[in-house]
Amino acid sequence: MSEPRPVHRERDERMTQDAATLAPNDRLQALLDMEKMTLSSQGRAAQSPSERWMRYLGFPGGITAFLLLYYLPAGAGLSGAAQAGMACFALALVWWVTEPFPTYVTSLALMFMLLVTRVSGAKAIMDVLGMEVIWLNLLAFILGAMLVKTRLARRLSLWLVLRFGHSAGLALLAFLLLQMALAPLIPATAARCVMTLPLMLVVAAIYGSTEDAPNAFGKNLMLLNLLGVSVLSSMTMTGSSANLIAVGLIQSMGGHRVYYMDWVRLGAPVAIVTAFLMWFLGQRFLFRIPEAERVPRLAGGLAMVREKYDEMGPLSRAEKKALAIFGLVLFLWMTDIFHLRWFGVEITAPFAALLGAVIVLFPRWGVLQWAEAEIPWHLLIFSAGAYAGGLALDDTGAAEWAVRKLFGSVALDGLPFGVVFTIVVAVMMYSHLLTTSKTVRTIILIPIIITLARTLGWDPLSLALPAALCIDWVVGLPISGKPNVILYATNQYSVGENFRYGIVTCTIGLVILVVSAATWFHWLGITPSFWAVAR
Amino acid sequence: MRALAALLLMLPAAQVGAVEIRSLALRVQTNENGSGRATAVVQIEGAEAGSVVVPTGFPAASNFRLTQAPAGTTLAAQPHNGQTLVRIALPEGASARTSIGFELDVTGVFQRPTPKSGEPEASRPNGRLIFRHALLNTEPATIGTYRFEMLLPDGTRAHAIREALPKLRQAEAGPRAQLDGIDGQPGVWLQVDRLVQGETAVVQVELVPRSRSLAWLLIGVALSLLYLVKFRDLIARAG
Repeated sequence: MSEPRPVHRERDERMTQDAATLAPNDRLQALLDMEKMTLSSQGRAAQSPSERWMRYLGFPGGITAFLLLYYLPAGAGLSGAAQAGMACFALALVWWVTEPFPTYVTSLALMFMLLVTRVSGAKAIMDVLGMEVIWLNLLAFILGAMLVKTRLARRLSLWLVLRFGHSAGLALLAFLLLQMALAPLIPATAARCVMTLPLMLVVAAIYGSTEDAPNAFGKNLMLLNLLGVSVLSSMTMTGSSANLIAVGLIQSMGGHRVYYMDWVRLGAPVAIVTAFLMWFLGQRFLFRIPEAERVPRLAGGLAMVREKYDEMGPLSRAEKKALAIFGLVLFLWMTDIFHLRWFGVEITAPFAALLGAVIVLFPRWGVLQWAEAEIPWHLLIFSAGAYAGGLALDDTGAAEWAVRKLFGSVALDGLPFGVVFTIVVAVMMYSHLLTTSKTVRTIILIPIIITLARTLGWDPLSLALPAALCIDWVVGLPISGKPNVILYATNQYSVGENFRYGIVTCTIGLVILVVSAATWFHWLGITPSFWAVAR
Repeated sequence: MRALAALLLMLPAAQVGAVEIRSLALRVQTNENGSGRATAVVQIEGAEAGSVVVPTGFPAASNFRLTQAPAGTTLAAQPHNGQTLVRIALPEGASARTSIGFELDVTGVFQRPTPKSGEPEASRPNGRLIFRHALLNTEPATIGTYRFEMLLPDGTRAHAIREALPKLRQAEAGPRAQLDGIDGQPGVWLQVDRLVQGETAVVQVELVPRSRSLAWLLIGVALSLLYLVKFRDLIARAG
C-alpha cells in the first residue's frame, strides 16, 4: 500500500521534469488549466506485472464466474431470470475489477448479455439511458464545465487551498466539513456531489492528481467525498428519501414513531466518527500520501498560489453569471419540499440542473457553447450498463433472494441481543453491494428486520432503527449509488480501490454501531442490554 | 342461457346476508400437459344454513370432491365469466364458523407463448410455458385472505413472475407473489389480504425446462481459450 506503483514513479519523474522545465507560473497554470482536462475514453494501460496477469486472466475469470452461477442448481425461490442476472452481473463485476478492456465496453457487453439470457427486455435495458442518474450525470458535466470555463472553480479552489491547503490533511478535512454542512441542507446526494465536483477536480490537480496520473491524494479526496456525500446523509432522517421510508415502516409495522432528534442522536455520532476515522486512515494507511505529496505540487509553493489568486482580481462578469446560475440551481435543490406549494409541481434535482443548463447554454446570455461542455459519453454508457445490471438484480428478485438467504441461513433463536444486532446490522450494511437502490433495499430489509425482531422477542425499534442508519452507507462499488457513478467518472480511482475503501468504511461503521448498541443506544433506551437473551 | 344459470347460481348467495369468507386457500399441482389437481380450503363465517359462492379462478374444472365439511354439505360448479364458481350449500345446523375443503381437476392451465404479429415463430425459444391464474371476486363477500399456491410440473423451473396483482397497498410489506419451496417442491405463491368484490388476484409465471442448454458453456470455453491464445502478449511483456 505504501509502495508507490510504477505509474506513480514514472509520473513523479515526469512531474519533476515538468517542474524543472516549466517556469513556476507556467507549472501552476498547467495544473489549473482545467479547460484542457477531458475525461479520456482511452483505457488505462496495465502497469505492474500483477496487473497485466489480472487483465489476462480477468476475461476468462469473468466467463468462469458467469458459467458457475448460470449452471449451478437453482435454489428454491430463485427464478431462472434472477439466476442468469446474477451470473451476468458477476461476469461484469470481474471484468470491471480486472479491466481486460475499458469499463464502458464491459457495460455494453453486460447489456447484451442481459438481453440474450432473457434477464431483462430490450426496452428495460435501453430505458436506462434515460434514467435520472444518467441525466444528472450529463447535466453535472455541463454545470461543472461552466464553473471551470468561467474560472470560478479555479478561484474557489485557490481560496480553499490558501485557507486550508497548507497540508493535504487539512485540504481533505475542509471537504469533509463542507459535505457535513451540506448534508442536512440538500437531501439529494447526487446534487451535493455535482456541486462540489469541480472543486474536487481543481484541488486534486493542485496536489498533482489528474485523470491521467491519479495519486494517493486524488484517491483520498474523491473517496472521502463519496463517504461524505453518502454516509453523512445518515446524520438526519431527511438525509435521503429512503431514510423517510424506513421511518414510515418502523411506524406502520413496528408501532414506533421516530422523531427527527431520535434519528440525529443515533445517526450523527456514528456517521461523524466514521468520517473522521476514514479521513485519518485513508491518508495514513489505505492510500498513504507520501510526504512529498502532502503539500501543493507547485514550484513556488503557497506564495505562488497566493500570487495566482491575486492575479485573478475581482469577480469577472462571467464568474458572476456562473455564480448566479449555480445559486439558482442550489436554491431549487434546497427548497424542493416547497416546490409543490410554490409552483404546483416538484422540480426534482435533475430538472433544477436542467434549468441551469438551459441558462448556461443560452445564446448571448449564457456562458458556454455546447462543444465546450465536452460530454464524456463513454462514462454515461458505463453508468447505463452498470445500472441496467443493478436494476436487473432488483427486478428479477435476485437481490431480495440473496438477502432472505442471508437471514434464513443463520439460526438467531436464543442468541444474545448483541449477536443478533451484529448480524442484522452487518447484513444491512453490506447488502448495498447487491443492489443499486437504497429504496429497494429499505423496502425489502426493514420489514424483514421488524418481523424478525418480533419473532425473536425483541422490540422492533431496537433492530430496525440502527439498521435504518446503514441505508445511506452505499460506498462499496461505483454502481452502489448516483454519487458513486459521478465520482468514479473522474478516473481518480479504480473499482478495486473503491471496494477496499468502501469495505473498510462499512466495517468501521459496523464496529461503531455495535459498540453504540452496547453503550450509547442502550443508555438512550433504544437497545436492551447487549447480552440479554429474549424470553 | 348460461348467464341465466349463473344468475340463479348466485341468487342464494345473495340471500346470505352477513356471510364472510375469512380465507380461501387454493393449491394446484400442475402437469406439463396443462392439467392439474387442485385443493381448496375455505373458512366461512356467518353462513349458517344457506349457500356461499366461492370463485376459483380456473376456467375449466371438473371432478369435484368434498374433503372436509359438515355432513350434508353439497357442492355445485358453474363456469362464469372465464372462471369456475363453486356454490357451497351448508346444511341446517352448520356452525357459523365452518371450514370447507374440496378438490377438483383443472385443465388448460398453461399457454404456449404466442408470437406477436409479424414476429417469426422461430424467434421464440422452445419449451416455454405461461401459467396465468386470475381469480375475480364476483361475490359481495370480501375474501379476508386469499392464498394461491402452484406447484411446478416436473422438469420445469420458473423463469420469472411476469405479473402479480393487485399491486401492494401502502401499508402492505413483502412481495405479492414469490417463488418458493412448497412442501419440498418448487412452486409459486400469491397472497392477497382483503380481496373485495370486483377485485382480481393475478399471478402469471413463465416456466422453462429445468435443464439449461449447454450453448453458453461451449461459447464461454471457446471465447476464453481464444482470448488466452490471442492476448498472451499481455503477460509476455511482463517478462
